[in-house]
Amino acid sequence: MPDRLDLPQGTLDLLILKALSLGPQHGWAVSERIAQVSGAALQIPQGSLYPALHRLERRGWIEAEWGGWGASDANRRAKYYELTRAGRKQLAEETRAWSQLTSAVSLVLEMT
Amino acid sequence: MLADLKFRLRALFRRDAMERELHDELRFHLERETEKLVAAGVPRDEAERRARLAFGGVERIKDDARDARGISLVDTLTQDLRYAWRGLRARPGFTVGVVLTLALGIGANAAMFGIVDRMLFRAPAYLTAPDETHRVLQGYVWNTRDRTDANFAYARLVDVQRWTTSFDRVAGFGYREAAIGTGDQARDMIIATVSAGYFGFFDARPVLGRFFTADEDTPANPAPVAVLGHGYWQSIGAPADIVGTTLHVGPSVVTIIGVAPEGFIGTTDGAAPVAFIPLATMVASRGARYFENYQWSWLEILAKRRDGVTVATANADLTVAFQRSWNKERDADAGSYPDAAAARVTGSAVPVLESRGPNADANAKIVAWVMGVAVIVLLVACANVANLLLARAVSRRREIALRLALGVTRGRLLQQLLTESLLIAAMGGVAGLAVAHWGGRTLRALFLRQEDTSVVANDPRTLLFAGAITLAVALLTGLAPALHSLRDDVALSLKSGARDGGGGGTGSHARSRLRGALLLFQGALSVVLLVGAGLFVSSLRNVRSLRLGYDVEPVVHAQMNKRGVVLSTAEQNALVDRMLAAAREVLGVRSVTVASSVPFYSFEERGAPVVAGRDSLAKLGRYRLQVGNAEYFATTGTRILRGRGISVDDREGGQPVLVLSEAMAGALWPDRDALGEQLRIGDTKALFTVVGVAENVRGGSLQGEAEFWYYVPMEQYREHFGVLGPQLYARVNGNARDFAEPLRRRLQREMPGVSYVRTMPLANMVTPRQRSWSFGATMFAAFGGLALLLAAIGLYSMIAYSVAQRTHELGVRIALGAGARDVVRMVVGQGVGFAVAGVVIGTLIAVVAARWVQPLLFDQPARDPVIYAVVALVLLVVAVMATIRPAWRAARVDPTVALRAD
Repeated sequence: MPDRLDLPQGTLDLLILKALSLGPQHGWAVSERIAQVSGAALQIPQGSLYPALHRLERRGWIEAEWGGWGASDANRRAKYYELTRAGRKQLAEETRAWSQLTSAVSLVLEMT
Repeated sequence: MLADLKFRLRALFRRDAMERELHDELRFHLERETEKLVAAGVPRDEAERRARLAFGGVERIKDDARDARGISLVDTLTQDLRYAWRGLRARPGFTVGVVLTLALGIGANAAMFGIVDRMLFRAPAYLTAPDETHRVLQGYVWNTRDRTDANFAYARLVDVQRWTTSFDRVAGFGYREAAIGTGDQARDMIIATVSAGYFGFFDARPVLGRFFTADEDTPANPAPVAVLGHGYWQSIGAPADIVGTTLHVGPSVVTIIGVAPEGFIGTTDGAAPVAFIPLATMVASRGARYFENYQWSWLEILAKRRDGVTVATANADLTVAFQRSWNKERDADAGSYPDAAAARVTGSAVPVLESRGPNADANAKIVAWVMGVAVIVLLVACANVANLLLARAVSRRREIALRLALGVTRGRLLQQLLTESLLIAAMGGVAGLAVAHWGGRTLRALFLRQEDTSVVANDPRTLLFAGAITLAVALLTGLAPALHSLRDDVALSLKSGARDGGGGGTGSHARSRLRGALLLFQGALSVVLLVGAGLFVSSLRNVRSLRLGYDVEPVVHAQMNKRGVVLSTAEQNALVDRMLAAAREVLGVRSVTVASSVPFYSFEERGAPVVAGRDSLAKLGRYRLQVGNAEYFATTGTRILRGRGISVDDREGGQPVLVLSEAMAGALWPDRDALGEQLRIGDTKALFTVVGVAENVRGGSLQGEAEFWYYVPMEQYREHFGVLGPQLYARVNGNARDFAEPLRRRLQREMPGVSYVRTMPLANMVTPRQRSWSFGATMFAAFGGLALLLAAIGLYSMIAYSVAQRTHELGVRIALGAGARDVVRMVVGQGVGFAVAGVVIGTLIAVVAARWVQPLLFDQPARDPVIYAVVALVLLVVAVMATIRPAWRAARVDPTVALRAD
């Protein structure tokens, strides 16, 4: 397992929004998806995930709905989060800001 | 925004559902995680353990999620409230003491606010434009003195209406007593006589019928109509068919054309009027000449400024109108007095609330003072509670330090401590409203002339005020202790252990300094209030012991209201004689006399006396005529200083004689004894001989120069002045109050037609004059006592606390051989030190404030050293008493126990 990276401040929201932009998901799947895509380099601290989800929901960027889960057990229900229109805009905004930031930081770091 | 609100509301109101969902969601996550591990080949037990481990503390996550949901404010508030409530319940003595202290402070303020609001701030009900509506006053110089008139003749009102341009409307109004009903049921009640235009100032619709119109309020057509007051209509059973029926008002019978809406009483701070009748109707009932002349000043003028007209412009406009009117009147009198310019006649538009205007009575000033006093009491109460909370904060230091050490943030702790003081203040506020409710009734009866049925609980303005001061109290009392608790060094507090304070913590010095300052503040304010109480009590005593020149308690005044019944001179003379005889029949009546002037009520004046060799006697003052029979001086108790009083031999046709008041005798014959001197009165032909000099009496004002009174024998009055009014004094054995009704019943039997008699103890006319001093005395004494009590409690708790804190030190001292007496002296000395400092500061404040209190006092210097000395002594005695118990406890500290406790 490669070394885990600490998440820079404020990027957790961005990651969650991005993960949800691919389609509605429940909390566990969000953390799984991020871990998989980043090759387990980014491990969302699980204790921060749910507070972050609730915060995003309060801001109106994601919406939650309870839905059935799994074919075998109709009674198992999971809470699915979905990006709202405002959330989509926010994601675009934050993505742009992130790329600007990283490219700026890279430029500085590549100074010779 | 909307999502946020929806979310928060759902979080707030559907909390249980949200909690369940949160629980389910987290459980779901754990299950997924576990299953992932199981699928990877980890045994289920191990998988569950690892999942949980990876996840972290479920409860903490729940907490964080709740915080993220943003409802934490409400949640923590209820949590804090519960916590505070538990804390308060655990110490019922402390809680009750604090709540009671605040209740008294808040209650006193809420009750006083209700009064001040009514007197000074609240516009009359229904008034459309209170800020643009004014009473109109006239100022002028007369006999070198500035005078202000608020009451005017009908002709003056007409002039002001005609000659001003600054006002949309100008109306006259007057409140007066008139007989309502007939026969034995007839009673004097308040009626309002108003211009038809008066109703236009208000946004009021009659609940029945209509108001009268301008056509019904003209000299040519003084319509006999009336609009009933709502209260009176209710009191007679609120008959729906009242319109069209008739009512006896004074001498007239009027037709009821409408009923005013509830609460509509016009522009009075007195009792609600029974009925509103047109001005012209009132004037016509007195005689048509009163439409023209300026003599009978009885109505007030109300005016509403036009939009954009300033008060200054309106004043200038009024001045011109009043000057024109003055000169018109003067021309009619053939110019016997200075013209308007020389008399410096001015007009002014003043606030519609009388108590705010320049002619406010002493009550309004006193009420403002008492409001100030109430605020001081509240401050003292706050200081006390803050002190108690500080002491409590000390005993909770370990608890607070522990919580800080456990990671509770300071902000959170501050919030919690403030929540606690808010809870205390709220409890005090609620209890205070109860205090205001019960105590306020008494206060309102003291201050407001208006009979007042409203209660505190349904007066939104008072409730709002009480809420605001409760919040202020919470901040005042809570902030200092809370901040001090938080400033403590955690480690030191924990280390210094169970021993309260000791030398531990830098905060403790600052804290005891703060507590000392609060205590000084309390002591100083108590001194100020007690000095005030002393001054007012002394004023009241001076007023009460002031010799008025007649006895008040045993005298009943009886007056016939003829109510339009026309009597010939012979009939009226016979009636007066019958009344005198009838009054004598009443058991307990000792003597009876006729009278024509009644102190603080009405006076007969017949112009200035004419004395050979003296002129301009009119300039000296006003001369009041009193008529009496041979029993007059025995009845009123006025003493004859020289010569004789009125005798049964002073008859019609005999030598005309007078008795003069000492002041009048001295003014007319400054260089010799008045006895035997002769004078004429006004335009009477008879030459009266002075046969006696009586002591001075006060009937117009309790203060100021002595008044001029002269006494005319009854039969000679009839001979030289005309028919005698049916008015008498009866002196009774005992209290006049008990005789007013029997006397009225007996006299009523003599009354012809619809006329009726009313009787009143003389005290009813006199005591209202002393009221402002008795308010002052009562309120300052009550509040001063309260403040002293609070200060004493504060001192006691402070000293007791400091003794507890110094147990160790005291133990050492005793072990080293300090005697019980030394210890007591030391502890009491500490308390007395506070008291002395409080006395010094309080005295300084009182001496400075004395300037403003002086005009409210009666014959009492505001810087009377005796009163200051007594107050200082009282405070010192109280300080000793408050410290003696803790001092005793200190003296009995067992050194072995105290030292071992360390």
